[in-house]
Amino acid sequence: MPDSLPMARIPDSIRQDFPVLSRIINRHPLAYLDNAATTQKPQSVIEAITRFYETSNANSHRGVYALSEEASELYEQARGRVAQFLNAPDTHQIIFTRGTTEAINLVAYSWGRSRLQPGDRLLLTEMEHHSNLVPWQLVAEATGAELDYVAVTAEGHLDLDSLASQLAKSPKLLAVTLVSNVLGTINPLRKIITTAHDHGVLVLVDAAQAVGRVAVDVQELDCDFLAFSGHKVYGPTGIGVLYAKTEHLDAMEPWQGGGGMIAKVGRDRSTWGEAPAKFEAGTPPIAAAIGLHTALDFVERLGVAQIREHERDLAELALGRLLEEPEVTVFGPRNPAERTGLVSFALAGVHPHDVAQVLDESGIAVRAGHHCAQVLHERLGVDATVRVSVGVYNTASEVHRAVDVLAEVRRLFL
Amino acid sequence: MSKSLYRDVLLDHLRHPRFSGKIEPADRSASAYNPLCGDELELTLALEGNCIREARTQVRGCAVCVASASLMGELLQGVSLSQAETYGALFREAMTSGELSSKDIFSLRPLLEVRKHKSRVKCALLAWNALEECLQNFQTTS
Repeated sequence: MPDSLPMARIPDSIRQDFPVLSRIINRHPLAYLDNAATTQKPQSVIEAITRFYETSNANSHRGVYALSEEASELYEQARGRVAQFLNAPDTHQIIFTRGTTEAINLVAYSWGRSRLQPGDRLLLTEMEHHSNLVPWQLVAEATGAELDYVAVTAEGHLDLDSLASQLAKSPKLLAVTLVSNVLGTINPLRKIITTAHDHGVLVLVDAAQAVGRVAVDVQELDCDFLAFSGHKVYGPTGIGVLYAKTEHLDAMEPWQGGGGMIAKVGRDRSTWGEAPAKFEAGTPPIAAAIGLHTALDFVERLGVAQIREHERDLAELALGRLLEEPEVTVFGPRNPAERTGLVSFALAGVHPHDVAQVLDESGIAVRAGHHCAQVLHERLGVDATVRVSVGVYNTASEVHRAVDVLAEVRRLFL
Repeated sequence: MSKSLYRDVLLDHLRHPRFSGKIEPADRSASAYNPLCGDELELTLALEGNCIREARTQVRGCAVCVASASLMGELLQGVSLSQAETYGALFREAMTSGELSSKDIFSLRPLLEVRKHKSRVKCALLAWNALEECLQNFQTTS
């Protein structure tokens, strides 16, 4: 198949925006295919962070001097940008965190510890990443609540019958991913959230694999909470977002105390400010927030719809080629319309780490392991998988290169 | 073959792991698990006095992990517990320094290639972690 297919939804010239892509790894040009773990950063994001440190660095919300006010303003502009990107009704509904994991831990702690009683139920799904699983185990342990799981079908969809029977048990909250980080499945959350709400169940959405890849509109979803990470959407590490409905934020207590989040501090007790400050104790990641702002600008310039098409085309190519490879089992939906740009597979008789190692020797970066989803791998009946995940800068020829190496892997090990 | 990590010796041990399986009942056993990749193995020992009469490992893991357990198995048959402990210490040292300081563990040489790939060093050490646990159990219970 030629490289210049009808596939160039996003021109290859986008690669020039990403300095790291010019690296040579093990004597081959880097083919970075681990975008579900983290994306590379465009020059604009790198420059925005550098510019902040070179021209505007000061602590936010603390000084009366010009520089501090500038830093505060840039930080709050970033919040506004995120609110706009997610179509949140109000900027105050955007809490900056270190990442998706911290955002979910915040809800599990602040909402969970005050709301859950012994015997209450929390509903998760078998396809959750550990970040949307372990925080709930911790809060269940602390409160005596119990965990249930929505089953995953053989093809990698949420089992809607299982969902219905679990919702009938009246859990307090459903914590569910919008896109599976192993299967690539895009879950029909709009429908699921409506059903959950009909049962009086709140819904937290893990959107780490979704933001910047598929359209995410919190008002359309009507989710109660939504979390994502900056670094998976071309932004820096160390910044993530929690969106929540105002009624929940108002009712929740802080989970960390410190500077920036207080109204008044006395010797024995203190009072808090309002959200978002209430949930952002300490000096915030100002530079990272600015980087995220620029990353969202980058994504919007390309267009989420275009990115979606580009990644779907590449996933379709990867899926098609992998399905023709001997000894390969591909996980997740067969229909590219039901999945994002990541494809996980196993090669019978070869451990995924060995597959990834041989790919690395050809300069191809893929992830191998359980991808922080051990419950799902148990369900799939495999210890680990190899995952190819694309981003805006990946090309058809990189996907071909990755699949071509499998012949060499087989020669070596089988 | 440019795939230097997978030298012929390691591939041979991968395809034909020595002393694999499980001794039942075992005098000593220990499991080791690598949470990073989900690899796991179980080492079982049959003892005769202070000597390892037989050592077997049951491995679910990658090529490096399987080959390392197999090479360890070859070394352990019939040696004393204190000798086994010494081998473990020597191998760990070699994996850190890149130098084999003793001819006794010369057979482990192909594993040193793994040092170039930091994330895989744990795979090579997994079987040896289980051995260490077996020996610790021995010291505390005897």
